[in-house]
Amino acid sequence: MSEISAKRFDMEDIFNALNLGIIVVDAVGKVLLWNNWISKHSGIQEADALNHQLENVFPEPISPAFLTALNNTLTYRLPVVLSTALHRTPLPLYHASEVNQQQTRMYQSISITPIQSNLNESCCLIQVTDSSTSIKREKILRSHSEILKKEAITDGLTDICNRRFFDAHYEMAVADAKRQKHPLSIFMVDIDFFKSYNDFYGHVAGDTVIKQVAVALKSQLSRATDIVARYGGEEFVLVMPHLPKKVAEQFAEKLRNAAFNLAIPHMKAAPFNQITISVGVCTGIPENDSNLLNKADAALYQAKLKGRNQCISLPLCEAEEYLQQ
Amino acid sequence: MNHLSDLHLDALAEVFSIGAGRAALSLSEIVGDEVRISVPSVQVVNSEDINSTTLSLNSGRFGAVNQHFSGPFNAEAVLLFTEDQALKIVSDMMGSQMSLEELAEFEHEAMCELGNIILNACLSAMADIFNFTLESSLPDYTVASADEILHRLKEDANQPYVMILHIDLTIEKRHTAGNLVFLLSSASLTNLVAHVDQFIGRFS
Repeated sequence: MSEISAKRFDMEDIFNALNLGIIVVDAVGKVLLWNNWISKHSGIQEADALNHQLENVFPEPISPAFLTALNNTLTYRLPVVLSTALHRTPLPLYHASEVNQQQTRMYQSISITPIQSNLNESCCLIQVTDSSTSIKREKILRSHSEILKKEAITDGLTDICNRRFFDAHYEMAVADAKRQKHPLSIFMVDIDFFKSYNDFYGHVAGDTVIKQVAVALKSQLSRATDIVARYGGEEFVLVMPHLPKKVAEQFAEKLRNAAFNLAIPHMKAAPFNQITISVGVCTGIPENDSNLLNKADAALYQAKLKGRNQCISLPLCEAEEYLQQ
Repeated sequence: MNHLSDLHLDALAEVFSIGAGRAALSLSEIVGDEVRISVPSVQVVNSEDINSTTLSLNSGRFGAVNQHFSGPFNAEAVLLFTEDQALKIVSDMMGSQMSLEELAEFEHEAMCELGNIILNACLSAMADIFNFTLESSLPDYTVASADEILHRLKEDANQPYVMILHIDLTIEKRHTAGNLVFLLSSASLTNLVAHVDQFIGRFS
């Protein structure tokens, strides 16, 4: 600091205006400087702190790690940092409004640096910053990122998984099944005559149907390994590992029933005059060139051709089909 | 590198083992569990001879804690851990207080502290045994690739010597290896050797 600025300002004013805590102790740990910030957050006035041993100034104990660090700095003249992560609240400091209310302590970051006084004494400068704000900011950011993460994989209309999640999940499920040689079942589901429903009842009613069908499909799942996702428009896809082909076929039938039992009237869907779904399912142990999704889609196409409101199951490879016949 | 005999290196290894012991004690107090630190070897090389093998730097990113210190000899001390290991050490040290996601914010500060404890313990052991006083800056923490670190270690022509301490750190059964690197000018190295000579002289 140049001489001019040192004369122009009273250093005490500057210390007291700082938005961080400043304490200076001498070689035996007696307090020589105690700024306003520390007074404000400890509830201890400068006059009550000056010339007292630092550890005796506070009514509550100071953390042993802080005292060790201070002692090390006094002995070896080496600077020390105490991080929030490892210490949290070394000094009994509180937010201003809470001082006399025994609230939780303020999170602190502390650095202790050796300094030399004008009288050539070895002293220590203790700087304390409030890290509560950065902790709060971190928590807010984290909860935002959790919300965003969830939004990124959720379908906005139905609240089930979206296409993006399905694509990633499908790839992993196939890789898993390949590696562990266990069967994987893919169900492609499509709402029958949905376009004419939309045309006749309107898009708002159409959206409600999509939501209801999504809920009905989801309610059939009970294992953590199974997922249902909105594939697009009025199409859904389900991924379920470890099901024997027979069980998968029975499950497809359960899905069809669940949608049928919603009993949503649809005047433009003969002969049932209600909302129904078609289901294509494919079960198998995936190999290099096999594509469960294409097969399930082909099965769905057949279900549509055969009159809708039904389930069609296709084997993953032609050899299986041949063996079954 | 004719300045340093095996005897010098043994003496330095002993001094740093004492420092490592002190650092382990401080860390144990913070962690509330046993922490062990050992310095299995000390090496002094020309900075142009260091490469990724000398520092066992493989690919990936490294956390480096820096402190400049001065006194009877000046040096830049750099403590190196791989970033993954640094994160694990910090999360072990913090126990269940904080999750790994929360670590990001506090990792730098906590690594500064970990480095500060190890560096100060080594410096204070030197100060006690060689009977001198060292001054030091506050620690800085940076994350860098192996190439960036090597570049930084070699770029300063005024500090052509590098003293490397291999450090083994065990916290709560997790074993980690790092390096403590001192960058020294030739005058500083000569001074250090002189102090080691005095120390050895006391026993012979």
